[in-house]
Amino acid sequence: MKVCILYSGGKDSNLALLKAYNIFRVVCLVSIFPRSVENSLFHYPNINLVRFQSEALGIPLLTEDSLDDEESNLEALYRVLGRAKEKYQIEGVVTGAIRSTYQASRFQRVCWDLDLWCFNPLWLTDQISLLKEALNSNFEVIFTRIAGYPLKKDLVGKKLDYTIIEYFKKISNILNPAGEGGEYETLVLDMPLFRKKLEILNYEVVGDDYDATLIVKDVRLVSK
Amino acid sequence: MILLISTCRYNFHEYEFVKPISRVVEKCNVSYDIMRYNEEIRLNKYSRVIICGTALKDFDYLNYVDNFKWIVDYKGGVLGISSGYQILAKIYGNQLEEIEKIGLYKIRVLRKNILAEKQEFYAYFLHKYALRNVNRKLIPLAKQNDEICMFKVRNKKLYGVSFHPEVLNEEIIIKFLRNI
Repeated sequence: MKVCILYSGGKDSNLALLKAYNIFRVVCLVSIFPRSVENSLFHYPNINLVRFQSEALGIPLLTEDSLDDEESNLEALYRVLGRAKEKYQIEGVVTGAIRSTYQASRFQRVCWDLDLWCFNPLWLTDQISLLKEALNSNFEVIFTRIAGYPLKKDLVGKKLDYTIIEYFKKISNILNPAGEGGEYETLVLDMPLFRKKLEILNYEVVGDDYDATLIVKDVRLVSK
Repeated sequence: MILLISTCRYNFHEYEFVKPISRVVEKCNVSYDIMRYNEEIRLNKYSRVIICGTALKDFDYLNYVDNFKWIVDYKGGVLGISSGYQILAKIYGNQLEEIEKIGLYKIRVLRKNILAEKQEFYAYFLHKYALRNVNRKLIPLAKQNDEICMFKVRNKKLYGVSFHPEVLNEEIIIKFLRNI
C-alpha cells in the first residue's frame, strides 16, 4: 500500500514514519504550515525545516498553508491529502497522534471522507516509552518550544537525553510527557532513515521560562 | 488466561486497536494470547475473550462472522469492542444499521451494570455500523442518542460496546477482567 506521513518534523511523526517504513511504501510526506503557535491541530515552531528533513529522507514533501482556526486547518488537510492522492496515488495516511481525541477524530474524519486508510501507530502508547523509543532508535531530538509550568527556558535547544526523560517522569503529574498538548515541541535533527543530518548554524531563543521558542535562523544538511 | 482477538485486516492497525488493550491487560497482571479474526479460534485455555476493534474503513471481519459461532456455546466472558460488538450482535441475529460516528460523545446508561457504574460518561467512537434496535436476546445497557452503544447477551457473560473503552474508559476493560 502507498501511504503518506502526516509530518511535522518532530519526534512523533518521525517515530510513526520509522514504524511504517518497512511495512508500506512511503511515497510522500505532507505538512501543514500553520500561522502561529496558537494552532491546536498542527505543530508550528520551525515547521519550514521539514523541507530539509524531506531532502534528508529522500521522500518528497507536499505542503499547504493554514490559518489557525479549525475550519482553515481542516480545509488545508483536505487539500494536501487530495493532492497526495492525485499525485502519488496514496491509499493511506500515517499519523503520529498519541492521545488527543481532538486531533485523532479530525484526522479520522478527513481520511474517511477522502476514502483513505488512517493509521495511528503510536495511539495510546505510554508517553515516557515513546521518548525512550526515540532515543533507543538513535534519534537526535532537540526541544524547539516549551509552553507551561514547570518547563524552563533553558530546555529550549537542548537535546533529548535520559536525564530529561527522568525529569519528565518526575513531573508527569503536572505535565504530559509526550508534549502532545503543546507543552513542548521537538525537532528531529537525525534518525535512522535520514541520509544526511540537520546541523543548526544559527538560532535564537525568544521568550521566558514556561513559554519560550527556538527560532532556527540558519541550517544545513551534513553527511552522517 | 485471556484471549485477545484482532479484527484488523492490516497488522499495522494492531498498534492502534490491539496493543492499547493488551497494555491494560498487562497492567492487571493477566496473561494473554492474541489471535486473528480469520484464524481457527481454539478456546480451551481461555476464561475470557476480548474481541478488539479495527479501523473505520475495515469491514473484512464481517466476512468471517461464522468464525465466531463458538460464542454461542462459550461459558466464559466476552467483551466485544466496536467490530467485536458488531460480531456479537450479528451472531445473535441482530441487524446492524449504518450509523457513522467519529469522536467523543456522551453516553447515557440505561441499566446499572457490572461494567459501567456512572449514569453518564463520555467515550470515543469510531464506527460505521451499530444498532438502533435489538432483539430479545440482547439487553440494552446504554445509549448514545438513538444508538444502543452497550448491550449484554441475556443469561450470558457476553458484552458489546460500540465505542472504544481503551481511549477514555479503561475502567470498563479492568472491570471486565476483574469481575466477569
